[in-house]
Amino acid sequence: MKRYMVFFFTFVVAIVFADIKIGVLLPLTGGISAFGEWTKKGIELAREQRPTVLGEKVVLVYADTRSEKTEAANAMARLTDKEKVVAVIGEIASSNSMAAAEIAENRKVPQVAVTSTNPLVTQGKKFVSRVCFIDPLQGTALAEFAANTLKARKVTIFVDIEQDYSVGLTNYFIERFEGKYKGNVQKVQYKSGDQEFSAQISQAIAFGSDVIMFTGYYNEIALAAQQARSMGYKGYFIAGDGADAPELIKIGGKAVEGLYFTTHYVPEAAKTKKAKDFVESFKKKYGTLPAMNAALGYDAYMLILDAIERAKSKDPVKINNAIRSTKNFEGVSGLITIDENGNAIKPVVIVQVKNGKFTYVTSIEPAQLK
Amino acid sequence: MVTAMRTMKEKTRRDLTLTVLFVIFVAILLQVANVKFDSYQKQVLSLMAIYGIMAVSLNLVNGITGVFSLGHAGFILLGAYTSALLTIPPEQKAMIFIIEPAHPFIANLHTDFFTATIVAGGISALGAFIIGFPVLRLSGDYLAIASLGFSEVLRILALNLQSITNGSLGLKGIPNHTNIWWSWGWLLVTVLFIVSLVKSSYGRALLAIRENPIAAEAMGINVFKHTLLSFVISAFFAGVSGSLYAHWLTTIDPRITTFGPVLTYYVLIMVVLGGLGSVSGSIIGAILFAFLMEWLRMFEQPFTLFGRQYPAIQGMRMLVLSVLFVVTMIVWKRGLFGRAEITWDGIRKLMKKFRRSGSR
Repeated sequence: MKRYMVFFFTFVVAIVFADIKIGVLLPLTGGISAFGEWTKKGIELAREQRPTVLGEKVVLVYADTRSEKTEAANAMARLTDKEKVVAVIGEIASSNSMAAAEIAENRKVPQVAVTSTNPLVTQGKKFVSRVCFIDPLQGTALAEFAANTLKARKVTIFVDIEQDYSVGLTNYFIERFEGKYKGNVQKVQYKSGDQEFSAQISQAIAFGSDVIMFTGYYNEIALAAQQARSMGYKGYFIAGDGADAPELIKIGGKAVEGLYFTTHYVPEAAKTKKAKDFVESFKKKYGTLPAMNAALGYDAYMLILDAIERAKSKDPVKINNAIRSTKNFEGVSGLITIDENGNAIKPVVIVQVKNGKFTYVTSIEPAQLK
Repeated sequence: MVTAMRTMKEKTRRDLTLTVLFVIFVAILLQVANVKFDSYQKQVLSLMAIYGIMAVSLNLVNGITGVFSLGHAGFILLGAYTSALLTIPPEQKAMIFIIEPAHPFIANLHTDFFTATIVAGGISALGAFIIGFPVLRLSGDYLAIASLGFSEVLRILALNLQSITNGSLGLKGIPNHTNIWWSWGWLLVTVLFIVSLVKSSYGRALLAIRENPIAAEAMGINVFKHTLLSFVISAFFAGVSGSLYAHWLTTIDPRITTFGPVLTYYVLIMVVLGGLGSVSGSIIGAILFAFLMEWLRMFEQPFTLFGRQYPAIQGMRMLVLSVLFVVTMIVWKRGLFGRAEITWDGIRKLMKKFRRSGSR
């Protein structure tokens, strides 16, 4: 019996008495766990560089959402009620962030979403903010880029009707583009997991499109681009931040060469000292360049610590007020200002695939999109 | 003969008293939980009852009638959407339908939570009737395929009917009505209804159909009518659970991870874990499932073993859970309860056994 007791006690989880606890709500397993892992890497690095605030140690408490809504709600409640965190970073997917947002709002604990771009996430919420731009801004930027830089006149949009992100982005693009060239946009639909796009591509070619826009995720984008090239489509490809994954080039190969997409961050765009240092230290720690999720996770952590410092308090409500009044915070993904709705106003980065690599093209400032 | 009948009657009366006392006891426990627990624990407690309703209603079709249905998620979705559209205030609807405005009929709907839940159950039952009416005439495992297909069709419809369901953007801002009383109250209603159904002549007919449909038919039971009845009732309570679920989660969407086949499989795991055909087993299975999912999170925290620090391993929880389930199914081949129920007679026998072994 004694032996078992000893065995049992060695299993007892070490409880760290934390001074400042920050919850991290991420999909660490399940469908979108790759995004979760990248974000975690960014947050870990940020904590290493800045482990204390107000003279107290910061402890990160991770909670896995398994890329599911129910789990996101439960994990969030666990963080706020059981772990008593003062703020929460996460989630990635908009639909999971929304499930968590209700709880953040009830418990009055600030939540900072990482890459949830759906405008509904922060809508009507006082305690939910984010460090990424929202889909209307991204859609507008894409429309401006297509119309002015690419001189597009006929656009076919591939909409993934299963993804709220894709449906939203399509809508905002059309709103802006139709304002300039009415009736020159055509929507074709597909669903996540589709492999065959020839029907939609023939429609795009018959429409005489000079630009095909993909608003879904990299997997389908790569496949559709390949099929479009083999069917003789010669025009441009553009896409939203769903294209931002190395797998795009791995799957798409030559076909995605020349594709433009909008995103939150690209290491090559690092101009400030802070951004360059981030790329360097990330490379040193993990042996690879940081992806967009890592940079935003890093920014989310730093923004919360900055807010705690400005609030000079561990009170979640005061921290939230500080987060909401963030002005021109220097993140590694650019200057971040949180507006009255909790959305980040920041530049949209445009990237092109060139010689099998993501290459920085330009940044569009939010002021240019008014 | 007469004395035998009298003892039977006395026994039923005694059991009834005990059951009522038990319900009151549970209610007191819940009240204590309501006061003492933090909101996270209360949230999980409500989820247990919601899962319980899902499991008990699926068990009626799969365990008691013996017809295999895989469409439970579809009925839950139907209930969730129906009730959500009925309780979201019109101003909120105007805010969330950002791509296409809501259909005027949908936009102005508004009722209270209770009515919405009843209507949700009714709509799900109607859906079950529509799919069950043609399919249940066939014998064999057609229902499994047809119901699985039906639930996917509903999900795809929810994705595409932009002006009714807000498509893939989903609905948010559903009032957070589901609390411990609503969820456990509805679980009580579900259990009372299904247990009395099973004990009625209809229930006997359902059990006969499970054992051997052909023999049941030969005995004069209308197999089609009875299976359809159980299917529709099951869907009604699935709809109710969907309504509770939507008002628990406060946001729903037609994503595969929210209302896809995975949800059906979860419910199926609860039912099979507890024992296919046992109502008490289904409830225990559901409670265990909801509890373990959260409790096992401690396996995902950093831990020290023999003085060494180990980092947290994400996904460990699911590994432990799967191993637990596999072991359970090896030890109890028909689930924890098999087809047996927890009855007062059974508890008395068990206590006698304990007393005997204690006095030895």
